Amino acid sequence: MIEKVLIITKKEILENIKSVKYWAIVGLFVLLYLSSTYAIGFALRGLGQQGIQRRERVVLTLSSQVANTMSYIAPLIGIALGFGAVAAERDKGTIRLVLARPIYRDALINGKVIAAFILIVLAVLASTLIAVPLAISVQGVNVTLDDFTRLVFVTVPASLLALAYYTMALFVSVNAGRSSQALVVSLSMWIFFSFILPIISSFIAFQILGPPPAMPFNATRPFQPGQGSRQFAEYYGKYSQIVNTIQIMSPNARYTSLINALFALRQSGSYETLTSSLGARWLDVVVLLFYIAAFAIPSYVLFLRRQETR
Amino acid sequence: MGEYVIETQDLVKVYKDRSGVVKALDGVSLKVPKAVLFGLFGPNGSGKTTLISILVGLQLPTSGSAQVLGFDCVRESIEVRKRVGLLPENYGFYESMTAYENLEYLGKLDGIPVQELKRRIPEVLELVGLKEWINSKVKSFSRGMTQRLALAQALLKDPEILLLDEPTLGLDPQGSTMFRKLMEEFVKSGKSVLISTHLLHELGYICTQAAFLRKGKLVAQGSIEELAKVYSKEKGYSYELLVAEDVELLVKELMKLEGVIHVSFENDKVRVRASEDISDELASLVGKFRVKAMVPISPTWDELYQFYQGGGWE
Ligand SMILES: Nc1ncnc2c1ncn2[C@@H]1O[C@H](COP(=O)(O)OP(=O)(O)OP(=O)(O)O)[C@@H](O)[C@H]1O
Ligand SMILES: [Mg+2]
Repeated sequence: MIEKVLIITKKEILENIKSVKYWAIVGLFVLLYLSSTYAIGFALRGLGQQGIQRRERVVLTLSSQVANTMSYIAPLIGIALGFGAVAAERDKGTIRLVLARPIYRDALINGKVIAAFILIVLAVLASTLIAVPLAISVQGVNVTLDDFTRLVFVTVPASLLALAYYTMALFVSVNAGRSSQALVVSLSMWIFFSFILPIISSFIAFQILGPPPAMPFNATRPFQPGQGSRQFAEYYGKYSQIVNTIQIMSPNARYTSLINALFALRQSGSYETLTSSLGARWLDVVVLLFYIAAFAIPSYVLFLRRQETR
Repeated sequence: MGEYVIETQDLVKVYKDRSGVVKALDGVSLKVPKAVLFGLFGPNGSGKTTLISILVGLQLPTSGSAQVLGFDCVRESIEVRKRVGLLPENYGFYESMTAYENLEYLGKLDGIPVQELKRRIPEVLELVGLKEWINSKVKSFSRGMTQRLALAQALLKDPEILLLDEPTLGLDPQGSTMFRKLMEEFVKSGKSVLISTHLLHELGYICTQAAFLRKGKLVAQGSIEELAKVYSKEKGYSYELLVAEDVELLVKELMKLEGVIHVSFENDKVRVRASEDISDELASLVGKFRVKAMVPISPTWDELYQFYQGGGWE
């Protein structure tokens, strides 16, 4: 029966690769990435050279912007592939032609999940490999092999994030009456984790900590490290602790934290080793994998048990 | 497998939703013999689509059982689906794919080798009159063209049984003719077709056997002759005689026959209605009155439908 799964996988991949929707999201990533890095690179050039070298700054900016842009786009890739997976086939009625043939119901869902995995990795890779070299040449920086490896390695957490959203959307799709309904619910989840939860968590943090200490600020002189800024740092340490705790189960936050670890620079200006940065963030990986399993398994079970009425 | 290609025993399907409980099928025991065009007739909501969906395993029965070609529709659904071509009531194609690509995908899922499909797809598209549109995207298809394509996908694997739910919906007159010819040939090759419809005037006459569904119950099934017998017992028997001369004399004679209810005539045609079967008595008059022809008039599917649907079978 594996050949039936592969037939479905192949058709899903071809159908999506030929679709405008799929490439529109890749295009959106490239556009967002180029415009944001351009703006930031422009600002950095004006700042002169302080602390870390400009080269590192620009490289860090380029990579943190990959992460930042991906945290919005990767979920969209997952949702785009997932919301219609079952619901749209029901809407259109194609599912009745497919399931009237000698295939098991799990072949359909297996074929779709495998295709989605491939399409996600492909979209994330394509987005990164189109956008980053473009941005590098626009910024005119020298990128070391180490920098580039890290940049490409960003695609792994990004794929995990996209896959987490895919399985969420798939779960919604299996249970929804219509695909439009599935889209609305999936997008609501995205909006919740990307925009609402961060606002809620910082609101709660401010409620607990009270207003931040006054910042020693003098517009005519550069920023001086001293008494005031220690208080300030302490406050923000606590603040981010609270915010992180509230967002512990947010796939977006786990993704961002994983990425930050990947690009953490030592004092010397070189990166932590891959294993040590991942070792410190195993929880992030676990949470992302948990999302994938927590939605994939019930989607699977519910789909197998459903009947095609209507 | 017995003599029937489709058989159900006490099939029950209950839908539960927010608005309550619906008994879509209520103890249906259907028997469809081999090599016939079998009609599944019933008004909207009588359970036709539900019955067909259970046969191919798209839905599960609440109780009772069903077999197609001897395979159980629940436990051996895959075996059933290997042998059955379905045209569902509500279906759709992948709109961004061409007619060929759609059929290729579905054909592969049927288990047909790719080489075979290269030959078979143009062949079925030719049969349904879509050959010119083989490489057109389905989104450009009209309602009737889509319906033809749906028929093509059901025929693709050259199934042993066709299950067709409202197959002529949206077809133009040429399409309907094409459809009837296809079906007649299909049955001639020893295969069976189950057609669900309420369009009796359009599809009734190609069916030689039928079952009537009403509110989820099977009110009657059998060949048109068998069903007509029951009908005639209740509604009377009708005959038509073609006479060369002495029409009025014949009419007088006919009135005297026992069981005759009504006699009418027009030129050389005499119509008789009787409460019982009087074909023997009529045959004996044939010699006396130079009757050129004597035919019993069987009820049409439409009349049978009216009769069985309204006949108080609650
Ligand atoms: N998914 C469902 N949920 C609840 N009730 C349903 C569902 N599907 C069908 N029914 C009910 O079951 C009954 C039989 O429906 P079915 O579709 O089998 O009828 P049908 O004979 O095919 O009608 P039509 O001629 O309109 O196609 C109807 O009363 C219908 O309302
Ligand atoms: Mg129906």
